[in-house]
Amino acid sequence: MRTTRSFADVSYYAVIGAIGGLAIAILVVPVLVVLAISLTSAASLKFPPTGLSFRWYEALFDPVQSGHIHSAALNSLQVAGSAAGLAMLIGTLAALWLDRHRGAAGRALDTAFMSPLVLPMLSFGLAALIIVTMLRQRPSLTWLTAGHLVVVIPFVIRTVSASLSQLDRALIDSSASLGASSFYTFRRVVLPVIAPGMAAGAFLAFVASMDNVPISLFLSNARTDMLPIRLWGMMESSLDVRVAAASGVLIVVTSVLLVVMNRLVGLNRRV
Amino acid sequence: MTAFTLNRRKFLAASGGAAATAATASLWGTSALASGSVIAAIYPGTWEESFRSIVAPALQEAAGVTVEFDPAYAVDQIAKARAARALPPFDVFVLDPGPAATGAEMGLYQPIDTSKLKNADKLPQVFVSEMAIPVAAQVVGIAYNPTKFDTPPTGWAQLFEEPYVSRLGLTGFQTTFGTTSLIEIAKAFGGSLTDIDPAMEKIKEVLPKIAAVAQPSAMAGLFQQGEIDVMYTNTQTVASLKGRGVDIEFAVPDTGAIAFVTTMHIIDGAENLDNAYAYIDTVISAGVQEALMQEPYNFIPVNSDVPLLDTLPMTSLDAMNDFVRHDWTQINPLRPGWIERFNREVAA
Amino acid sequence: MSLTATQGEGARRLPRLSGDWPLIVPMGLLFIGFFCGPLVLLLWVSFHNDQNMEVTGVAMWARFLGDPFYWNVVLDTVMLGVKTVALTVVLGFCTGVIYLSCGPRVRSLMLFAIVLPLLLSVVVRTFAWIVILGNEGLVNWAVMSLGLSAAPLRLLQTELGLVISLAQIELPLMLLPLLSVMARIDPNILDASHALGASRWRTMFRVILPLSVPGLIAGSLLVFASSTAAFISQSVIGGGRLIYMPLVIWQQALVVYDWPFAAVVSIALLVTVLGILTLISALGRLART
Repeated sequence: MRTTRSFADVSYYAVIGAIGGLAIAILVVPVLVVLAISLTSAASLKFPPTGLSFRWYEALFDPVQSGHIHSAALNSLQVAGSAAGLAMLIGTLAALWLDRHRGAAGRALDTAFMSPLVLPMLSFGLAALIIVTMLRQRPSLTWLTAGHLVVVIPFVIRTVSASLSQLDRALIDSSASLGASSFYTFRRVVLPVIAPGMAAGAFLAFVASMDNVPISLFLSNARTDMLPIRLWGMMESSLDVRVAAASGVLIVVTSVLLVVMNRLVGLNRRV
Repeated sequence: MTAFTLNRRKFLAASGGAAATAATASLWGTSALASGSVIAAIYPGTWEESFRSIVAPALQEAAGVTVEFDPAYAVDQIAKARAARALPPFDVFVLDPGPAATGAEMGLYQPIDTSKLKNADKLPQVFVSEMAIPVAAQVVGIAYNPTKFDTPPTGWAQLFEEPYVSRLGLTGFQTTFGTTSLIEIAKAFGGSLTDIDPAMEKIKEVLPKIAAVAQPSAMAGLFQQGEIDVMYTNTQTVASLKGRGVDIEFAVPDTGAIAFVTTMHIIDGAENLDNAYAYIDTVISAGVQEALMQEPYNFIPVNSDVPLLDTLPMTSLDAMNDFVRHDWTQINPLRPGWIERFNREVAA
Repeated sequence: MSLTATQGEGARRLPRLSGDWPLIVPMGLLFIGFFCGPLVLLLWVSFHNDQNMEVTGVAMWARFLGDPFYWNVVLDTVMLGVKTVALTVVLGFCTGVIYLSCGPRVRSLMLFAIVLPLLLSVVVRTFAWIVILGNEGLVNWAVMSLGLSAAPLRLLQTELGLVISLAQIELPLMLLPLLSVMARIDPNILDASHALGASRWRTMFRVILPLSVPGLIAGSLLVFASSTAAFISQSVIGGGRLIYMPLVIWQQALVVYDWPFAAVVSIALLVTVLGILTLISALGRLART
């Protein structure tokens, strides 16, 4: 009995460890490859890099060479920031409503709200441009943000809904029966439970918006140049290493932010 | 109209009388002379970078016009213009022949008055039309990795033999260079401009050996990492990759390289019409064409005042007649069918 | 049918508040204005027989539905999503189990590793996968230097390679909802299961897995939807030999400007994927009852 048990345990650790290790490898190795490439001293994207240097980071930060990349990055940050912020608000409210309406109507709406994630974005972008034009409007940052908002909101609805399913409803009942206002109940009982879901959803929404090509392609104009479109052109025509350096910067900045957040709020204990 | 004449006058009178004109202009505020802007669509990548660094300052200096660029590939420009027909998203297109012909069929352009372009008579007149002004020539042929083969490929048919076929990267009919190359491949096996059957049959036959069937956007990366060592592309791509240390050379097929011009068009209903003319005129001016020809941009100029560098694949624009050219009004009606056929034949 | 991965038992339903409709108003307005508008337009476009959209009719639908080639493309697209979901469920669940058994320090490291792929622009991510999966790439270098295979494995431009590369960007979508659900599993339950003599395998399948279902379902929905739509990965890593619906839509909309046909394929993709999503969430509800 004892030997089979420990054999089972060994096999458990081996299998779970191997699969988990594979998952981490799939997640991380491409990132390491990109970081390695971004530090190349050569003139084009190539792996393995021929020598190490920071020249492409210098080139990326140089306002003369890369000023238009900076303005595109600012545009993208602005759109992604507002889209993710609005998505978090609107999506959380919708998820709360959906959680209370489990009938046929609620379920149908839940399905419908997922559909922006599914409709091919290229078609959505084209159709949205036609409609914006019909309204006698020109593409602008506002329309662009609206377009992004629609397609990133399902991330928030999904992650918040998943967190809501963890909510112990007895708590809400008792809070209500003790005479707490529904806002108080929300703030003290519901919000702490769904906060990680909201944060995860907003994060997904942000990165999805940052990396969106098809909607930006149609709803941006000459003044609202977006980062991924610019990176795409640099990659395709000249294997420009600044493309990798831009991702490197994003990784470093996010790492620092995560460390800071970890120190401040202990994110790891919440999620 | 007024703005344009004023701009032009300023340009011509750069030495004498400029001060007076400028003084008059300042009385009228900035809007009259340093008049506003033009929005130009531009290919992302090399085109955009070179136009930002060369064309934009030249236009500012010549006409006091600010150009704003809307980065979009040719097919995206057409789609965008078609979707936003009532409110044109930009003033000037830049297109390769395939999409250019499509845009003409859709009636997206307005006629161009070449008398408003000072540099128009310097252009090869065969490419100038009522709707299109050529701004750069492109030459398409075979690109290969010189470190991987003892001898460069010499013709289209040879791409389908060893050692090349197992290193070949193939793209379909969705780009101008892909379509023209596949037509030349068809010709090499007995087809013609409108009959691509022989190419499709040959591709089907050697499909298991072909290194990659890829989207055009993936080709440079695949080539750089040694996944493919032969492909068809234009000389500008070859030059720009080579300039960045990629092992790549251009080979002219024995039946001749393919040549076509990239053209600019003014959109129907353009908001900044006069500035659009000023922009196009600047692009085709000798100084700008000369600058675009240099490393790392490697454009093939179309202004006859600009002597071609000997690193370019043609000696003069007259030599374009010796290159293989294609009639896109014949190709375009057939292309949807070809694209669908390519999907079906190469699908795993 | 609903996509609700979060179905609680009916008895635990929240007290129904009479005036909770304002919660849904912003989403409703946004959805009607910005999503239904374009969708209706696409529907309208799809019922035209010609590229210039002058003749109305169902010719494009007939062309799509009457062609076995396109049925195959639909099937391939669905299968791509199913395979990606399957891979991310297995990888994600095991990662989640490890996550549960780790201390806070390791957890935050893991969390960091999980969000990393999202920070790579798709442009450079596909290049990295060429580096990894190529004939002269990292995987083949490892396989051949370990003597596991004499010739390089063909990974790039195959469905296997595509699914692996999609797993990278889809795993965060699986793991973020999954971990937020798993992290709330009461550790005492696991200890109890152990104390009662259950093996680790049994604890995993009988205790952890059922409690993780809401997270797995939420993740699967996101992964399926986004992997079937991942045009750039599909075309760069998958290559021209693998044809999925987004590629057809791109060709029709942007290369040959046959917008009615592009609209037909778009709506077909939407309907198919929503159908599958409904199925996934129905399975999720079944698994919980």
